Amino acid sequence: MKVYIYKLFERFWHWSQAILIFLLFITGFEIHSTYNLMGYELAVKVHNATAWVFLVLIVFAIFWHFTTGEWKQYIPTTKFLKAQFNYYITGIFKGASHPTKKLVYNKFNPLQRIIYLGLKILVIPVQLISGFLYLYFNYPLKGFELQSLELVAIIHTLGAFMLLAFVIAHIYLTTTGHKPLSSMKAMITGWEEMDEESAAELVTSQLEEVLLKTKKEVKTKTNKEALIHKAYADAGEKTGANEAKRDTRFKNAISKSGAGYFCISKEGIYRDVNDAWVALYKYDSQDEIIGKHYRLSRTREDFKELEASAEKVLNGQTINHGEVKRICKDGSEGYHTLTMSPVRINDEITGFEGFIIDTTAKRLAERELLKKQLRENDSKN
Amino acid sequence: MHQRLLLLFLAFIIPFVSFSDEKQSENKISPEERIEVINYIWKADRKTTPVADHSSFPQLQKEFATAHDVTAACISCHTERDKEIMQTNHWMWERTEEIEGKGKVALGKKNILNNFCTGVSGSEATCTRCHIGYGYADKTFDFSNPLNVDCLICHDNSDTYKKKKGGAGYPDESVDLNYVAQNVGKPGRINCGVCHFWGGGGNNVKHGDLEVALLDSRRDVDVHMAIDGEDMSCVDCHITENHQMAGKLYALSSENKNRATCTHCHTDAPHADNLLNEHFRRVACQTCHIPTYAKVNGTKMIWDWSTAGRLDEEGHELHENDADGNHNYLSIKGTFVYDDHVTPEYYWFNGIAGHQLMTDKIDTIPVQMNSLDGSYLDKGNNQRSKEPSKIWPVKAHRGKQIYDPVNNTLIQPKLWSKEKGDSAYWKDFDWHLASKAGMEYIGLPYSGEYDFVETEMYWPLNHMVSPKEQSLTCKDCHTRNNGRLAQLDDFYLPGRDRNKTADFAGIGIVFIAILGVLIHGSLRILFRKKANH
Repeated sequence: MKVYIYKLFERFWHWSQAILIFLLFITGFEIHSTYNLMGYELAVKVHNATAWVFLVLIVFAIFWHFTTGEWKQYIPTTKFLKAQFNYYITGIFKGASHPTKKLVYNKFNPLQRIIYLGLKILVIPVQLISGFLYLYFNYPLKGFELQSLELVAIIHTLGAFMLLAFVIAHIYLTTTGHKPLSSMKAMITGWEEMDEESAAELVTSQLEEVLLKTKKEVKTKTNKEALIHKAYADAGEKTGANEAKRDTRFKNAISKSGAGYFCISKEGIYRDVNDAWVALYKYDSQDEIIGKHYRLSRTREDFKELEASAEKVLNGQTINHGEVKRICKDGSEGYHTLTMSPVRINDEITGFEGFIIDTTAKRLAERELLKKQLRENDSKN
Repeated sequence: MHQRLLLLFLAFIIPFVSFSDEKQSENKISPEERIEVINYIWKADRKTTPVADHSSFPQLQKEFATAHDVTAACISCHTERDKEIMQTNHWMWERTEEIEGKGKVALGKKNILNNFCTGVSGSEATCTRCHIGYGYADKTFDFSNPLNVDCLICHDNSDTYKKKKGGAGYPDESVDLNYVAQNVGKPGRINCGVCHFWGGGGNNVKHGDLEVALLDSRRDVDVHMAIDGEDMSCVDCHITENHQMAGKLYALSSENKNRATCTHCHTDAPHADNLLNEHFRRVACQTCHIPTYAKVNGTKMIWDWSTAGRLDEEGHELHENDADGNHNYLSIKGTFVYDDHVTPEYYWFNGIAGHQLMTDKIDTIPVQMNSLDGSYLDKGNNQRSKEPSKIWPVKAHRGKQIYDPVNNTLIQPKLWSKEKGDSAYWKDFDWHLASKAGMEYIGLPYSGEYDFVETEMYWPLNHMVSPKEQSLTCKDCHTRNNGRLAQLDDFYLPGRDRNKTADFAGIGIVFIAILGVLIHGSLRILFRKKANH
């Protein structure tokens, strides 16, 4: 299953940086007289021009990291660090699964966090600073001056070797994803292939993120309609829906992962549902459900609980439900988690709406596991 | 097929190309070919002002009894010019210069020792063939008499004037003074070259970049003086005002002043490429643009006086030549090594030179006859040089000279005399007598003992500028081994230098990364196969 992880700018930034660093390697080691390739003069010129382009790209990247909050991805953590390390040392050979899952604000594993942070605040700044000193303070002249290029050159060369070692390991580690090329494809298209469970967790976390944000704003703001639109847009962006509108795979992904939307009037009549909701409840189209009462979404005994929740929401609360059981059109059962928040028009609550995230697969898996354990216990006894 | 088409194309094109080449050499440098220059008018653009016809002047038609009469005739019209010329280095053979640690010193051919024929003292009558005067036979010469000035040596345009060998600067008897006096004008290359090409006793002996081939050379020898180029004369660059010439020689001068520079015409940012212009801050133009010197005839690289004096069985002097026809042994001078197409040596230079004076004690071996001041860290904070030191191409001339091991000074031997028995080494071959006579003549002590000591002299190169296609490229210096600047190791040069420890560590890290990837990857493949079975 594929999930949208890397946004357009992120991918542009990554590959531009990759090309620039590659160019800097090729030309830099020629300047270092490691080999003769394009000629010394051309190598120097390309190296210098590339350095400037790199600087501009970094300025944009810094801006992006801080405006999107993506910088948080790089906050180092020791949690699971050892597990991740052990995974690479032993687990990977035994076919164990990755010890950490990608989540919205945790798309890097703890090792990645530390290494990437090291690159961002140490190696690349050192290379940039030493590089520009090399370039513009290369002759001992008046004003700010270097007494010799030697120290700068040594630092710059060492940095280049470190970066080269990183690139080698980095490229190799891209093959340790779901499939050998999954990570590479993800960095190209934005969509990463992963197992169902990881995908569900990631999408859930993506939606939760949006809902949490919306929830916070619900408490402080009054223009609910605009808020809902914004939440929509945010969810669309987070899950890659906006970019994926042209991409039918997204629809499958979002429906399979369980992100359905519903809007119900205070009388309890479905006003709107999205395709994902329709698919989850196994209806053939929205028309079959819009205008009907939400009673038919639950078993009789479960409906009371839902009704109680609905009442709370109609009184202004927002509710984050645990797992509930739904009754589909054909009478079959399914499981999902649920959020509900009130819909206000002119300060009057006219209904409630929310997202549902399918957890049936997980539930079934758990059930299978339980059965297995029971069987094992039986056979032991 | 493509090749055939190309050949066909070339066959059509070549006749046109070669034709246009011919045309260019006829017209000298065409306006399209010109580079941007300042302070210079291209020859083709100059308005030739009519020059006075000296042959029509009655002053120059009367019979001249002596060369002094010619001078009198010249200054009868060109009044005051005698006073100008008599203040110049060409006349005085000395100038007051400050030498670091030695204060103000009168420096010049009069009193300084060089690494070739040593010095003029005691041998003036032959050496002053290159003095712009008449009668400089010894130290009693009257430098204040205007009639002693030789105007013709510089202003002869007839190419028939020459000075007599051993004649203390007087013209040869064969010279028709009237003819020469009626054919005077601006100095051409031959006027300067007669001394500056043949100094040191033969063509190109001293400079290495100034020699007779420049009278008739092509652009690949010297872009400025080439007859198929601008055909410039010496004074086009060594601009002269009131007989004071721009430019100097660090064999005889010390201070950073009155230098003829490339930037006078070419500016200090003549390249389209900024990267090249940036080099000018620490690299002299000459370094890249004079890739080799002595491009036609050989120049003297080594002169060992200590072997002089060997005679044949009958007591005659020996003359031995090398394969190129250059002397490699002369009884009067010792052993030489010539070389042509020489790669310069490179030194930091800030325009200030030091000198080993006759009175100086020897404190370094080889003795530095002159020394070029400068280093990488010299950024022009030296008070007498505002500019940072630059890398210069230099002809280093090495030798062995006679010195006094007791007084620990160099010796000025008396070399030349008309006759034997006058203590002159070139006649009597007796170093002791020559030293005694020479040192007595200049009033300096001689212990009676002599020996030979290694000496070095440095000649910054300025001429024989090559066409730009032949100038040095990056890799001539920015290369790991055997680059042009391999010896100039007081600074970090990209492409040449590296820190071995840092490189070792860096390569080690990369190697470990590759090794790790290979092992890890192989293990993964191995375990997957196992799992599949």
